[in-house]
Amino acid sequence: MNTINVRVSRFDPAVDSTPRYQTYEVPFEARMTVMDVLDYIYENLDHTIAYHSHTSCHRRVCTRCNVTINSKPGLSCHTEVTGDMTIDPLPRLKVVRDLVVEGL
Amino acid sequence: MSDTDSIDVLVIGSGGAGLRAAIESSDHGASTTLISNGATGKSGATMIAGADVTLDGAGAAKIGLPGNEEDSKEKFIHDIIVQGYYLNNQRLVEVYVRDAPPRTKELIDWGVKYVWDGKRALLTQGVELNRVLVEQTRKRNITIIDDVYMTDLLTQGNTVVGAAGVDVNHGEIRSFGAKSVVIATGGWQRSYTFTSAPGGLTGAMHVAALRAGADLVNMEMVTFCPNVILWPPALRGDIFPYILIERFGDLLEKHGRPFLRDEYDPSIYRIATTTEWNKLIFSVAGTRVVLRGDGSPRGGTYYSIKTVPLNILEEAEKLYPGWKWLRTDFSSLMDWLEDGNAVEVAPAAHYMEGGILVDEHTATTLKGLYAAGECSGGLFGANRVASAITQILVQGAIAGGSAAEFSKTSKTKEPDKKQLDNIRSRLLSPFTKTGGVRAPDLKKRVRKIADDHLWVLRNGNGLKSAIAELESILLKEIPKLSIQTAARTYNKEWIDAIEIEQTAQVLLASARSALFRTESRGVHNRSDYPLTNNNTWLREIITKNVKGRFTLTTRPVIVTKLKPPKGKFSFEEGIIRAVKELGE
Repeated sequence: MNTINVRVSRFDPAVDSTPRYQTYEVPFEARMTVMDVLDYIYENLDHTIAYHSHTSCHRRVCTRCNVTINSKPGLSCHTEVTGDMTIDPLPRLKVVRDLVVEGL
Repeated sequence: MSDTDSIDVLVIGSGGAGLRAAIESSDHGASTTLISNGATGKSGATMIAGADVTLDGAGAAKIGLPGNEEDSKEKFIHDIIVQGYYLNNQRLVEVYVRDAPPRTKELIDWGVKYVWDGKRALLTQGVELNRVLVEQTRKRNITIIDDVYMTDLLTQGNTVVGAAGVDVNHGEIRSFGAKSVVIATGGWQRSYTFTSAPGGLTGAMHVAALRAGADLVNMEMVTFCPNVILWPPALRGDIFPYILIERFGDLLEKHGRPFLRDEYDPSIYRIATTTEWNKLIFSVAGTRVVLRGDGSPRGGTYYSIKTVPLNILEEAEKLYPGWKWLRTDFSSLMDWLEDGNAVEVAPAAHYMEGGILVDEHTATTLKGLYAAGECSGGLFGANRVASAITQILVQGAIAGGSAAEFSKTSKTKEPDKKQLDNIRSRLLSPFTKTGGVRAPDLKKRVRKIADDHLWVLRNGNGLKSAIAELESILLKEIPKLSIQTAARTYNKEWIDAIEIEQTAQVLLASARSALFRTESRGVHNRSDYPLTNNNTWLREIITKNVKGRFTLTTRPVIVTKLKPPKGKFSFEEGIIRAVKELGE
């Protein structure tokens, strides 16, 4: 099976002094989105990962799933995955945990 | 976490109904707090709605739109009731039609961008509607609280005295004392795997209302939107092919045959492709195709534009320049379709006709509790064709006003500490467990029960097994849910654990109602009871909480305007009859 390596910024301000990366190996499927990758990690590899999804619209409207994908901002629900990637929270916003930020 | 003091009206839900309720409540002089499980203006179903506002032509003419003066309120009321298979609470229909023109007028005065369709609809977009309503909300002295997932109502006897829930970002349990509460939280579409609705529509407050002692009505009634994209993932859940099929294209089964045209009466085909009866007809016909084994690999059917000449497509593209609709770019999908491919589509859980039982003042059966918009039930009976946007505006305004007036006559009551402690321990229980069931796994299983048994076509055996499975999950598995994530801040497992309990409860209420209604009517179709039976089933099904047990009862439909006909008829006969009555 084709897999990709996904590096995700992990940070809990209550216990960590700086963010660190954690890498997950995720099965690759044609045209999958960044949200699909995060869902896969949460459901199968690591239940502790935090990214906003419980009120996401999946239509480019709410913008609450906005993250930094390979150094560029992008909506995780509509950004298709092409290969290995690094996912960070949006810059300059207070991180709640991992990829969830305040003020978005 | 400390409680918030002196709220007159607490509005839960920040879609169109909640925003409109908050505006009205504030205009009635009540101190108003609007609370949302996401961010105000960025959550709820309104933001992704198509969206149109419906009103009668003569009413439209009176507010300055070029409406048809030969249309009338009486005709519009008649049509909504026929479309609803006579299950509508006709008092709610009267109010909807009465208040549609003033609610539309005020939207125009507030600067909403729109196009008048020449008949009964003001066409706008959910994003635009949200923009206007959020702007009006922010102009007023309304307290806005975001990212608090409300789960419970606080009561004293049969009076609501506040509500409680989880601040998802900070991981704290919060409670709010309030003299009255408006629920405006939409449907429970997220209890299904495949839905056109955004996240957050989990039915949490339906369950909270029932738990607190309010009644639910017609919980078996679920509208599916057909032709919703199954793949690719970025477009999954999008209803664009449904929008397109009103103009062109066909749905095909796996051999490439257009099943609706081949297998149904020409009048049914015509109605399905030219009127908004398309939701019901395509959903039922497509599901029949899948059930007999002629569906697509992902369990749907195919939408194709292969027979549409290119110049006709070019003409249509002018309506959706660059094949963009709302905020999504469909140009690559359209290129692919123009090359002769077909996209896999399926019905998706779309709109709930059933919900919290309300009267024409949006009052529930609990004192101080009001419900507006899709979370309420009864207005559209067994099938909605008229606009749900009008519903949120009309009922939102009434709820805000009713709640504000109620708050003037009532005193703030301290929430019962024991009740709060129980809520707190229930919400925090998964943190105290180890081993047991994991939230993401159980969430999938609960949704699959809805997909399998509460779908477009139901049957008694399926519903019985759904009920047994949901009861077992609620009794044996949910109490064992455990959370591995230590941090409470944006804890997905915790959010899922809360959602699972709510969705299992709301699905149980829906499955019990669906089993109880031994007929087919509107969007509720049973293969073991295929006929609509007006001789015995012109009754609403009400779910009540009797001393902690959810029990079912019925009441005759509330008739004020249009007397329902007697007799029994099939799915096809029912549609042909209705269309004759509507003159479509």
